[in-house]
Amino acid sequence: MRDIISRQNTILRPTRRGFLTGAAALAAAPLATPFVARAQETALSINTWGGEWEEAARANLFDPFTAETGIKIQTVSPVSFAKLAQQVNTGTYEFDVTTLGAAELVRANQNGLLEDLEESYPGGLYNNGMGSHAFATLMGWRKDKFGDEPKSWADFWDVERFPGKRSLQRYAARVIPIALLADGVAPKDLYPLDVERAFKSLDRIKEHVVVWWTAGAQSSQLLRDGEVDMIGIWNTRFFNAQDGGSPVAMTWNQAILDKAYWVVAKDTPNVENAKKFVAFATSAAPLAGFAKAQQDGPLNPASLALIPPDQAERMPTNARYAEQVVAQDLENFGIDPAELTERFEEWVLS
Amino acid sequence: MTGLSNMTERKNLWPWLLLTPLAVFLVVFFVVPLIDVAVMSFTEPRLTFANYERALTGTLYQKVFINTFLTAGFVTLCCLLVGYPLAYLMSVSSQRTAMLILLLVTMSFWTSFLVRTYAWMVLLGTNGPLVWLFQAVGITNPPQLLFTRFSSTLAMVHILAPYMIMNIYSVMRKIDPVLVRSAESLGARGGSLLRHVYLPLTAPGIANGCVLVFVICLGFYVTPVLLGSPREQMIAGLIGTQLDEFLAFGMGSALAMVLLVFTMVILTIYHRHFGLDKLWG
Repeated sequence: MRDIISRQNTILRPTRRGFLTGAAALAAAPLATPFVARAQETALSINTWGGEWEEAARANLFDPFTAETGIKIQTVSPVSFAKLAQQVNTGTYEFDVTTLGAAELVRANQNGLLEDLEESYPGGLYNNGMGSHAFATLMGWRKDKFGDEPKSWADFWDVERFPGKRSLQRYAARVIPIALLADGVAPKDLYPLDVERAFKSLDRIKEHVVVWWTAGAQSSQLLRDGEVDMIGIWNTRFFNAQDGGSPVAMTWNQAILDKAYWVVAKDTPNVENAKKFVAFATSAAPLAGFAKAQQDGPLNPASLALIPPDQAERMPTNARYAEQVVAQDLENFGIDPAELTERFEEWVLS
Repeated sequence: MTGLSNMTERKNLWPWLLLTPLAVFLVVFFVVPLIDVAVMSFTEPRLTFANYERALTGTLYQKVFINTFLTAGFVTLCCLLVGYPLAYLMSVSSQRTAMLILLLVTMSFWTSFLVRTYAWMVLLGTNGPLVWLFQAVGITNPPQLLFTRFSSTLAMVHILAPYMIMNIYSVMRKIDPVLVRSAESLGARGGSLLRHVYLPLTAPGIANGCVLVFVICLGFYVTPVLLGSPREQMIAGLIGTQLDEFLAFGMGSALAMVLLVFTMVILTIYHRHFGLDKLWG
């Protein structure tokens, strides 16, 4: 549930014992980075999601950046929002650059954790984060069970027409908009969220949701194994299951779009290199390469133009889907995400 | 005289000197951060008791605390019921057999946490071998195994049972078989032999195993969330959310402190009844 932004890989973080996180970040930061040449002109440390995500970033962003500038890149994973905060509070930096989702970005900027950035393409800067790519939470289902029938979240909620087990992400900020769309709210009227109505809508589906998934790999596996028949799943994870040969189908209709941003940790000694990297990573060609590898939608329009039409089919930011997808609106959310999560967790347990 | 007393003093000092590196390590990496956590629980976001008020009175947190302790208690009990007979079997087997059993038991330590968790998903899943077995013996509508309290408990017992088994086995191995035989010759049989002779002798192993399993289990949260029913949330998961999603270090610290205090209270009660000093044999 704290699997926040685009962690489109196996991130379960089983080793994190919650109550030590803060303290451990404090104590371990200097220990964990013996190889990072701090404050050196030629080094940069980047926080990544690890796994396939990092491979895509290394091939398309890190290595080309090093080739162009001579600045070596060290990585730390997985992405930790808490660590970003503790770094700035303690002045000990394990990484200079990290990636955040919109909700975290707004909170980080309010807490003064981010360096001011310059816009590297028009319209890309938001709360001191440079927009990198967007990913979708879309409706996927087993084709062997429902064919091509389901059309919208209302069908996901329709357990009489489509009987079977369901799964959604254990993440309030995505589930609440879905519940409202299923209840018939028009996408243009979605924000600010009508939380009361959303929970009433959720009550109707609750007993059919056998599992609230918390990790990307898990969601793919659930669909692939036929453990559930319908699922709210990220685009990358859905296509993983499809490419693996499973009989699955999806729709872009009412897919919820979340954006991922690159940010620079406030007051890091590597600030110049870090800013150079963020500008590079959001420029046309590198971002296009990364988006192709990850099958996520680049936010820089110039990158989108570089992607062949057949590959752009899978990208949530494809102009063809613009009428169907629903972009998250954190500015006009209607409720504090922390408060919403607490209510949602309470609802799941009740 | 002075030379002799000097020597004794030096002798008494030695163990403490040897403990110094460990003590320094614990102070720097455990005590200091723990104090920091305690301070944060009162001072973040400002000087306040509000974090504790929410942690102790919020229905979400109450429910999750209760679930956490019940789960840990139940898993400990299951580990004991599974582990005790197995440890006994090992203690009466030949050295070779005992080693083989120990190998099988500890094998779960060799596989990564994630692999084990996904393995359970495959085994217990709708298209898994267990459901297939149900169908093979004629049960056409097999029960849902995965995503229930059953599946999460099974997985946690599998992970934690080795701690129980090794603790009990190490104690059982040292019990002089003559004691059991003399008890038998004095007329103790079956239940009474177990209750009056064997159980008290193995108590240190049981106490040690139970405390270890219970405390480790309190910190679990990935297994119940991945394998358990949606209603199973452990407090460690909520603490993680507070820190990593909301940067609410004060609230996360308060929850951690409440967990710590409750754990201490439970261990104290346990000590009153069973005596933790048995840990040292």
